[in-house]
Amino acid sequence: MNDQNMRFLVVDDFSTMRRIVRNLLKELGYSNVDEAEDGQVAMHKLKNGTFDFVVTDWNMPNVTGIELLRQIRGDAQLKHLPVLMVTAEAKKENIIEAATAGANGYIVKPFTAATLDEKLKKIFANMAK
Amino acid sequence: MSDFGGMEDLLQDFLTESSELLSEVDNKLVELEKRPNDRALLNDIFRGFHTIKGGAGFLNVDPMVSLCHRTENLFDKLRNGEITLTPEIMDAILAATGVVRDMFGAMSQARQPAPADQHLLQALDNVLEGKSAAAVSHEPPPVKPVAEERAPLPQPGSPDWNQLYDGLLGTTTASSHNAREEQRPSPALSVEILEPEEAEPQVAAPVRQVVADPMSALKPAPAATLNKPATSSQQLSAPETTIRIDTVRLDQVLNLSGEIGLTKNRLTTLRSDIMAGKMDSATLKSMDEAIGQLDLLVGDLQNAVMKTRMQPIGRLFQKYPRLARDLARQLGKDVELVITGEETELDKTMLEDLNDPLVHLVRNAVDHGIETADERAASGKSSKAIVELSATQVGDHILIEITDDGRGMRPDVIRRKAVEKGLIDVETANSLDDKQSLQLIFLPGFSTKDQISSVSGRGVGMDVVKTNIQRLNGRIDIQSIVGEGSRFTISLPLTLAILPVLVVKVCDQPFAVPLAMVREIITIRQDQVQEVSGRATIVVRDEILSVRSLAHLIGWQETQLPQFGVLMQSAEHSFILAVDSFIGRDDVVIKPLQNIRPKGIAGATLSGDGSIVLVLDMEDLLASAHADNSAIMTSRLVEQTY
Repeated sequence: MNDQNMRFLVVDDFSTMRRIVRNLLKELGYSNVDEAEDGQVAMHKLKNGTFDFVVTDWNMPNVTGIELLRQIRGDAQLKHLPVLMVTAEAKKENIIEAATAGANGYIVKPFTAATLDEKLKKIFANMAK
Repeated sequence: MSDFGGMEDLLQDFLTESSELLSEVDNKLVELEKRPNDRALLNDIFRGFHTIKGGAGFLNVDPMVSLCHRTENLFDKLRNGEITLTPEIMDAILAATGVVRDMFGAMSQARQPAPADQHLLQALDNVLEGKSAAAVSHEPPPVKPVAEERAPLPQPGSPDWNQLYDGLLGTTTASSHNAREEQRPSPALSVEILEPEEAEPQVAAPVRQVVADPMSALKPAPAATLNKPATSSQQLSAPETTIRIDTVRLDQVLNLSGEIGLTKNRLTTLRSDIMAGKMDSATLKSMDEAIGQLDLLVGDLQNAVMKTRMQPIGRLFQKYPRLARDLARQLGKDVELVITGEETELDKTMLEDLNDPLVHLVRNAVDHGIETADERAASGKSSKAIVELSATQVGDHILIEITDDGRGMRPDVIRRKAVEKGLIDVETANSLDDKQSLQLIFLPGFSTKDQISSVSGRGVGMDVVKTNIQRLNGRIDIQSIVGEGSRFTISLPLTLAILPVLVVKVCDQPFAVPLAMVREIITIRQDQVQEVSGRATIVVRDEILSVRSLAHLIGWQETQLPQFGVLMQSAEHSFILAVDSFIGRDDVVIKPLQNIRPKGIAGATLSGDGSIVLVLDMEDLLASAHADNSAIMTSRLVEQTY
């Protein structure tokens, strides 16, 4: 599972942020990355392509990150897709909400490549179990 | 030295995107004043600050993170109905966006911005704690309420989310300590985690001086922003090096260049055929077709490329509601700026150069155009004044109008002022009609207010507005009705890159004049030329127009009597430009002349046959020839006429 050709979908309404996440992923050796500017576009891309991992922002117009997560978990094809929530929402309720909705990980902005790597590795480890 | 080493690209992206976002936030704030309970607006503004904070975090711009964090929290509380919006809160928020913008300014010069003013942070904290923003605070503010609501910014001392998260999931991660966590024991998974032991330094630090009224320190903030618009306009006038283009438009360019490639291939084949001696009518017809095709395609390509440079004028307009609102408040007026036609597109470079003139006109309308509340009441107008800013495309021109429903301008007062200030003499003043009198405000050194107000009078006058518009090949006109209001109309070509011109000939040399100024072409019959007060004139449909020979204007000797007259219309006056003959109209790309700048010449272009055509700058030409040449010309023309 943990290989460099994994295809990532980075979801954020702020293009600078998508670029940041993309750069960090590249730094970790993952260069197969596509982007979507909100949950709606993301869902469309997920249904029409093969992705191995979703990194999504929480707070977005139209379909938010948590709604996207629920849609993914509710979709027969996509429900096993690992989802890492990226957000500045450092509230306990948020974390619980993300966990209950089935997020595989939760990372708080701003973060470094090392933190991201650690999160990813943990998710891969959990999935391998 | 850059404070953002290695992140310059990212910084640029962030600034471009965040500046737009902040302008949107600014406008939504102005909206919010009208509809303080609109949840969608509150949400949008919340998200705006949230997004900026997120980006700033990655760039390590702590002062911005810390400020946006507070405003974001504030909007969270506003949208949850925990706080109600008051004018004081509004002022604090608007001051905060001003500070964020200043921080963008510092960052665009690759500097870390200074932390926000302590009073502003204090005022925001007061609001967050449920106190009045203006509440007298004699003691260090308690930290708890903020912290209880929200964890502070992720910084050393924030809880380990790995632990918390794993705790929630029920998985174990012994190795999940990150570097910062090792500095202190990992807290157990519990609610306490969310109550940080270390509060933000700004909040926790005891307030050294007693702030009697935190808001009083805030008050000047919007004014300060207004008084140095250089910050924002410099940012804007500093040429942006990047542009965002709709991919559909880019695809058009790609398609067209592909088709041009195909046509080129066809021509190459045809050339080989012709070189090999194959010159039958079918081959020549094919060549004719191919060249015709190329003609069309290149025209389309030019248009398509031009379109990639077109940007909606809304990007510029969106900055002004806030500007008008702040200024109006400062002057104690109630003014609403109504914007229409934001989607109208204009060449990007023109957009940037339009900012200063438009800012000036909007300020001018609010400051000078709109009456004081008392005056409005006295003249039976509604207390709320309306300033309209609109943009429309009319043919190949863009019209931008700034209309106010204020006091209007009095031509007689303007004439008198101009004479008093020694800008014109009494005789000239008396010869001006009302429309011409209004144009006097564009003279350097003109200001109708005896007292230059701190708001509008800041060196940039209407003369600069006019010069800037003219530099864009545009025109500015004024209409005004005393007691009802004024309207400034700016007319601009769609783009500066391609200029439609009329090519005329004088002394066997072709010259191009901007087609925008050409009203019509007439034949000059010598018996029509009449001398009126020493000037050669021709009456065209009851309008007496002076005749100016192009040869004389550029300082040449005529080789023949001018045969044709081009009826030219510039902002102030119409006249007839006498020329020898015409070549026709053309769309040209102006190349600036290097090293030399002859008076009255805007640049050069190539004609279809490869010869060089000079493009005339009529305003410049007239200004330089104004004093002496016209008199000489009159005597010559009249002499030769009789």
